[in-house]
Amino acid sequence: MITTVLYIVVYGLILISLVAIVRAYNGPTVLDRVVAMNVITTNVVLIILIFAHIDRSYYYIDVAFVFVIGTFIGTLCVLKLLREGHII
Amino acid sequence: MVIQYIAVFFLLGGLFFLVVGVIGLLRLTDVYTRMHAMGKCDTLGAGMMLIGLMLLILDVTNITKLVLIAVMIGTINPIITHLIAKTAYNRGTPMAEGSFLINTYVASQRRRRRSMLEKSEAKKGDEQSQ
Repeated sequence: MITTVLYIVVYGLILISLVAIVRAYNGPTVLDRVVAMNVITTNVVLIILIFAHIDRSYYYIDVAFVFVIGTFIGTLCVLKLLREGHII
Repeated sequence: MVIQYIAVFFLLGGLFFLVVGVIGLLRLTDVYTRMHAMGKCDTLGAGMMLIGLMLLILDVTNITKLVLIAVMIGTINPIITHLIAKTAYNRGTPMAEGSFLINTYVASQRRRRRSMLEKSEAKKGDEQSQ
């Protein structure tokens, strides 16, 4: 029962990411695309955690943690580039 | 088992909030409103799904890592949303038709600058009269 629910949740997250990709494709400004990519990264983190429980290989949790930090730095760099025109 | 049903409730509730947020992202008309829809629903949905996974895993070390990830997402998502709003406002991104802006911050800064100017001019006038 619980595996079926987990697969349903994974398919729902993939559908949500596809809808967010639609918004990132035809968003009128750059910041719409930034918001859509933020949503997609959160969904990817949740998918990694759910597969860590499905496969019973809990080392994926560390991968998800590193992924969270990396996407945070990436979005921060994009926003700083948009605000000031340079990163460093 | 009861705890598995509670976990299923949390997982499906998180999925529901994420779906609602993405519908807002697709249907709303403005950068600011889209960000408003996504910034809250995303944090709440991810937090609920992480609570559901914690109830499923039930192991101390992995639950500690999941709590760490929940804290990271709960602090990072509002920071990113705030920065996106600030960047959009500084770049002058256009709003939707018929919306208006009440900028109390700029009004308070102007009032403060005017009062400081008046104070300094009064002090200068006193020095010149002496």
